[in-house]
Amino acid sequence: MKKLSIALAAVTALSLGTAACGSSSETSDTTIATAPEVAVYTVDGAWARTSPMEATMGAVYLNVTSTLDDALVGASVSTDIAAMTQVHETTMNADGTMGMQEIASVPMMANTPLALAPGGYHVMLLELVAPLEVGATVSVTLTFASGGTTTVDAIVSEEAP
Amino acid sequence: MRKTIHLATIVLVSLPLLFGCASDSTSLMGMTRESPLEVGLTSLPEVFASSDSETSFTFKAESDQLLVVFFGYTMCPDICPTSLSDFRAALRRMGSNSDRIDLAFVTVDPERDTAEKLIPFLSTYASRFHAIRTTDFSLLKSVQDKFLVRSSVTTDESGHVQVTHTGTAFVVNSSGQVVSELPFGIGPDGMENDFTVLLNNIENGDK
Repeated sequence: MKKLSIALAAVTALSLGTAACGSSSETSDTTIATAPEVAVYTVDGAWARTSPMEATMGAVYLNVTSTLDDALVGASVSTDIAAMTQVHETTMNADGTMGMQEIASVPMMANTPLALAPGGYHVMLLELVAPLEVGATVSVTLTFASGGTTTVDAIVSEEAP
Repeated sequence: MRKTIHLATIVLVSLPLLFGCASDSTSLMGMTRESPLEVGLTSLPEVFASSDSETSFTFKAESDQLLVVFFGYTMCPDICPTSLSDFRAALRRMGSNSDRIDLAFVTVDPERDTAEKLIPFLSTYASRFHAIRTTDFSLLKSVQDKFLVRSSVTTDESGHVQVTHTGTAFVVNSSGQVVSELPFGIGPDGMENDFTVLLNNIENGDK
C-alpha cells in the first residue's frame, strides 16, 4: 500500500510568527502567537481503473486522510493524461437510477479517511488523451479547502488493489 | 454538511437484509422474484463493427446457458466499468464454465454510442457479447419497462450530457425469465456465486 504524507507550511503561520518576534519591552502585555496547526495528508490505495478503447472517461479511487477538519475541493492531472479533472459523486436517485455530478467540496473530518471508491466519490478524468493501461501511473494532485495540496501516483489496474 | 448515501453502502447494508446471507453453495446473492420478470419476447437491434447491418436480438439465453444483460453507456466512468470489470473477474474465476455465460449490453445513450464505440468497449470486458443499440427511444423504453429499468439522457446549460440509468444486471435463462437481479456493487464474488448456482440448477434439470 503506497502512502504519501506531505506536511504543508501555512503562510499565515509564518507571518504570525514573524510578527510575534517584534515584541516591545515598552508594553506590559504579552502577546503569544501560536502557529496554526499544519494539516498532514495521508493518501493510500490510489488506483485508476483501466479504460477501454474508445472510452474518453476514467476514474481514480483512493483514501485520503487529513489531520485537521478540511474538505477536498479539487483534483488535477497533467493534460498529457486528461483534458479535465473533476471530483464527482455517484448517487442513487429517487427512481432507483444512478447518476453522477461534480462536487465542489467534500467535507473531511480530522483523522477520518475519506474514501473515493466505486459507486461513490471519485476523481473523474475527462477527455482522456490515451487509454489507461495496466501498469501505468497517473499522478493526481488533490486540493483542499485549507489551501493545502498533496500529490499521489495512482496505479492503473483492472481491479482494486 | 450535505448528507449522502453512496451506492456501495446501500448494497453492503441491504444485501444481507433483503436476500439473506448466502452461506451455502446453492443460495443466490442477487434478488429473485416470486413472479420472475419475463423478457424473452422482447428484442432490440444488435449492431456489429464490421458492417452497417443489424440483426434482431432476443433477450433469452441459448439452451443450457445464461444471458447477463447490462444497461449503460460507454462514457460512463464509474458504474459501468465497475460492473463490467466485476463481470469479467467473475468469468475468469469460473474457468471453462464461463463459456456458458453470454453478455448483452444495451446502450442507454445510443446517439453517442455508435457501433464503432460499443464494440471495442465491450471487447475489453468479454470475448463473447452482444452490443445492443437503437435510436428508437420508444422501442428502447418498451424493453426497459420489461426489465423495470429507467434511464435518462439530458444536456445541461453548459452543454454537458448527463446520463442516469439503473445499475442492476439481469441474469436471464433460456426461457427468457430473469432468474437473478444483480445490484450494483455485488462484486465478482456475488456474480460468480449466482452464475455457478444457476448453471448447476440447469444441470439439475431447471431451465
